[in-house]
Amino acid sequence: MYILGIESSCDETAAAVVQDGQTLLSNVIASQVDIHAKHGGVFPELASRAHVEVIHPVVEEALQTANITLEDIDVIAVTRGPGLVGSLLVGINYAKGLALAANKPLLGINHLEGHVYSLWLTQPFRPVVFPVVVLIVSGGHTELLLMRGHGDYQHLGGTIDDAAGEAFDKVGRLLELPFPGGPHIERAAQNGNPYAFNFPRAKRDDSYDFSFSGLKTAVMREVSVQPAQASKRQRGEEKRAQLRRDVSVNDVAASFQEAATSILAEKTTRAAQAYGATEIFLAGGVSANQLLRAKIRKETELPVRYPPLSLCTDNAAMIASAAYYRYQSGLASSLTFDALPSWYLNNDTYNV
Amino acid sequence: MPILRESELDIMSHSPEQTQRLGARLGALLQAGDVICLTGDMGAGKTVFSSGIGKGWQAQTPLTSPTFNLVHQHRRAQDNVILYHLDCYRLESAQDAYSIGLDDILDGRGVVILEWAERILDLLPKEHLWIELKVRDETRRNLVLEAFGKRYETLLENFRTQAFGV
Repeated sequence: MYILGIESSCDETAAAVVQDGQTLLSNVIASQVDIHAKHGGVFPELASRAHVEVIHPVVEEALQTANITLEDIDVIAVTRGPGLVGSLLVGINYAKGLALAANKPLLGINHLEGHVYSLWLTQPFRPVVFPVVVLIVSGGHTELLLMRGHGDYQHLGGTIDDAAGEAFDKVGRLLELPFPGGPHIERAAQNGNPYAFNFPRAKRDDSYDFSFSGLKTAVMREVSVQPAQASKRQRGEEKRAQLRRDVSVNDVAASFQEAATSILAEKTTRAAQAYGATEIFLAGGVSANQLLRAKIRKETELPVRYPPLSLCTDNAAMIASAAYYRYQSGLASSLTFDALPSWYLNNDTYNV
Repeated sequence: MPILRESELDIMSHSPEQTQRLGARLGALLQAGDVICLTGDMGAGKTVFSSGIGKGWQAQTPLTSPTFNLVHQHRRAQDNVILYHLDCYRLESAQDAYSIGLDDILDGRGVVILEWAERILDLLPKEHLWIELKVRDETRRNLVLEAFGKRYETLLENFRTQAFGV
């Protein structure tokens, strides 16, 4: 079965063709990183406009690379949420038009479930014995899940404030590193001392929840000169802390990365043990972080799987793969669904 | 808690927990149509205060940072009102605001919390509650609440009574 996946939930416009949920025939991503880098983040209007401009050529290229025509596609799948509503709608509306014109079934897929299924695209594929613990860590999400079967998820924990990748982005901004923060912090950290600063590991409790807001604030207090507090500020005035010139960016980056990854590794491995998982799966942009991978491998005897680098960040292949398993389990096609900007992943996800 | 004007309230919070409890007091008083604007540096506690509002309002899902997706929606069991939680940091223009559906969000049927509200001053309704959070030291935060409009003067008065009994 051939599935065409389309993804536009944030700053990547992507299309891919996947055969039987596991075989990647094409994976095309038009990244907007360059557009957003100069602003230090993803800007919504820029993002949706850029999606509109590239979605058609991206889909065409995905079909061409896979050497398949739209007629031979069995199902079209598109990210329905969570994400930026304007960006999601570009993908959804394009997919609806395509499905209507070609008379194909259309499935609206949860972006987080897509990240889970990026693990099914890892080659060579080894069969999965459930349950497995899945850690999804990206710019917008930090989710720890117990996966008991296809489509069967138990939410174990998540962030109570900032997502892990968001903390990397915000600390990157504080350190005046380019956007996105993750890879740049990782690079700076290679030349830094991870024990130069003892940043707090928040929520060292029995829960499987995470908190990165306090860590971000601690980094900010350490590295920045506070703007003067004495006079009452004008309403709407821009306030920005200044980076202290005497701190080592490399040391701060390394110490921050140490704190952020150790708490992720600790709770993920503890959950895997507590729930009798056979394996640990990592997904999402932050799962590309080498220190996180190394820490988790060190703290568990269980096998640890992560997607190839190209499938860690947002892509459409993972959406097509998730759609394959949803289609097998009977998710009905629809041409009338709308975007769900806040869409949680649990066992009721598709009962909306 | 010096009372400068009836429409202004100045509070010192000594911990993130206290900031969250203050948010919860406010959240319990909110009605459909209310607009709460939050401003303050990164790390000042905007999201902590918002998560308190969510608890007090009895949102079914915890309020986390909306920075990445810009808008989070929450519901509660007792009615059909939606709580919108926005981060305006990356909204640079009216088109940006339009593309995330700000018009619909501010149509008076939902409760709206806006972090980094100073980014979209021109697009805010005239009447709202304005809350500035200032970092005093590692854990202490100064919260200044200002009411703009009749509804918000009443809201602030009720909040003062609830939180401090005066």
